[in-house]
Amino acid sequence: MQRETKTESVAPSKRDVVDVRRRGASQWAVAWRRFKRNKAGLAGFFIILFYFFIALTSPWLAPYPPRSFQALYEGEAGQPPSWKHPFGTSRAGLDVYSEVLHGTRGDLYVGVGATLVSIAIGMIIGALAGYSRGTGSDILLMLSQVFYTIPLLPLILLFARVFSVLVAKGFGLTLILILLGVFGWSTISFIVRGEILRVRELDFVQASRALGASRWQIIFRHIIPNILTPVIVTATLLIAGNILTEVVISFLGFGDVNTSTWGITIEEGITYMRTEWWTPVFPGLATLFAVLGFNLVGDGLSDALNPRLRD
Amino acid sequence: METLLNVKGLKTYFFTEAGVVKAVDGVDFQVGKDEAVGLVGESGSGKTVTGLSVLRIVPRPGRILAGTIMFEGEDLLAKSEEEMRRIRGAKIAMTFQDPTTSLDPLYTIGNQLVEVIREHDKELSKKEALEQAMKLLEMVGISEPELRIRAYPHELSGGMKQRIAIARALASRPILLFADEPTTNLDVTVQAQVLELLEELREKLKMSLVMITHDMGIIAETTQRVQVLYAGMVAEVAETRSIFKRPRHPYTEALLQAVPRIDHRKELKVIPGNIPNLIDPPSGCRFHPRCPYAKEICWKKIPTLNPVDDDHLVACHLWQDLSLTGA
Repeated sequence: MQRETKTESVAPSKRDVVDVRRRGASQWAVAWRRFKRNKAGLAGFFIILFYFFIALTSPWLAPYPPRSFQALYEGEAGQPPSWKHPFGTSRAGLDVYSEVLHGTRGDLYVGVGATLVSIAIGMIIGALAGYSRGTGSDILLMLSQVFYTIPLLPLILLFARVFSVLVAKGFGLTLILILLGVFGWSTISFIVRGEILRVRELDFVQASRALGASRWQIIFRHIIPNILTPVIVTATLLIAGNILTEVVISFLGFGDVNTSTWGITIEEGITYMRTEWWTPVFPGLATLFAVLGFNLVGDGLSDALNPRLRD
Repeated sequence: METLLNVKGLKTYFFTEAGVVKAVDGVDFQVGKDEAVGLVGESGSGKTVTGLSVLRIVPRPGRILAGTIMFEGEDLLAKSEEEMRRIRGAKIAMTFQDPTTSLDPLYTIGNQLVEVIREHDKELSKKEALEQAMKLLEMVGISEPELRIRAYPHELSGGMKQRIAIARALASRPILLFADEPTTNLDVTVQAQVLELLEELREKLKMSLVMITHDMGIIAETTQRVQVLYAGMVAEVAETRSIFKRPRHPYTEALLQAVPRIDHRKELKVIPGNIPNLIDPPSGCRFHPRCPYAKEICWKKIPTLNPVDDDHLVACHLWQDLSLTGA
């Protein structure tokens, strides 16, 4: 408080001047500074970075192409980890190492893609629910609640089966992505609705209107940027959830057998788990660290962006 | 004096689920050219809503139901939303109570000033607008504007933020400024500075000022004329000097006696009770349940504004019989 009254006087102290120059601290810069101090969040960040690197480079990193049963023809099916096959081979002749690498691409595609679909739907519905009043708002809120409460997995499995014609044509992963996205937007819409109700009452929105800003300017320049932080946090956690759900769907046999994903490999290896543990365990570990990474980043972001935890 | 703003019979109601809140219920209100007018009353008396109504930015579920708002000879209520948008900021501007939330936390000070400057002068390049922003910061007494212009709101003190909010409101040189409780959330020393600044700018920019406040002290310092609102209706209108010397409405008297004074060491008088429920306001004079002088007529009949003299009006049945004490 004392320092604040000081800056009010004609000449601010040297320290303030230096501060402003050094930091030029936008909210994002401040958040990043605080995020960096969070060891777990930072670890998660590097885990995620590593996964994205693998996903981008997997065609070059992996010794075998996706879904290649080459090892079978080489007479090396069902072998434990070795120099040639670091994660071993499955009974059917898949190189587990290659499958885990290719699966990274598939699972990140589904995890991130489904989340983007959810954000798009959730933002639109949440924004409409927050902006309209009366019956329209109630209906949209009710719709969100329905999607929040119905058990999604059986529904997604049902749809995956119904659209299996598409799966056969090679749309498999994209179909799962769309299903996860279309059924997973309710949390985003709750948050967006609540945040809009909060932000629209803030003085700077009213002040901008009083100075001649148009409705769209206010929505895009002032309201949306100010509700993004909780959306980002939720989205990060949602990616983890979506990856896990994709693995579950594939594990239950509703996935796309023509694309490499962790879930498919686990499913194919689980029967022989006792004798050939390597087939399900390595993709399982890949799933575990991916989900862990996104969750750590989500928690780290939520701490870093929370204005009530100012340092 | 030439009249700049002339509001007549303004009614702004809020249609809430609990019922219709008659926030402003038939208010007349004038502002002259270069004049500083005070709008005073407790929270919920309708002073802020009056300001919002003039700019036509009453938030939903509020609506302006009746009245005329003549500004420079034209009725603002008859204008289209697009026409109003060009008046807001350029001709009439408003600053808001809480300096901590009246600036968008995501943008630099410069960015937010440029936004308003270019809104009303689209020809201007970004660089020219930034130069103007710099001049605005100097004008409102911000030291080292070249540094502050790159700062974010959270890096500044409350007083500075309020100065910048004022700079933003004045960016397009409006001729009428509504200042809604500009000092409520500031330290006492900073309060005085901000009031001084407003007074100085009003004279320099030849601007009319409407000071919205609940503080009679601020009214005394900054205004020439004052309008006392109670529960959405006008209680008294007069020159500031004469209202302080001799208030005619019991509510004004009560407001004056609620101001702490160092020279009389007597107990501070508070006004008993609360501002009435505006969904179902009291019958007759809305102040009668709290008024120490109330008589039968007060709850039977709504008082009209009676002229005490040329520029002193009071809405009280008993004003001729009462002898009220001023400050």
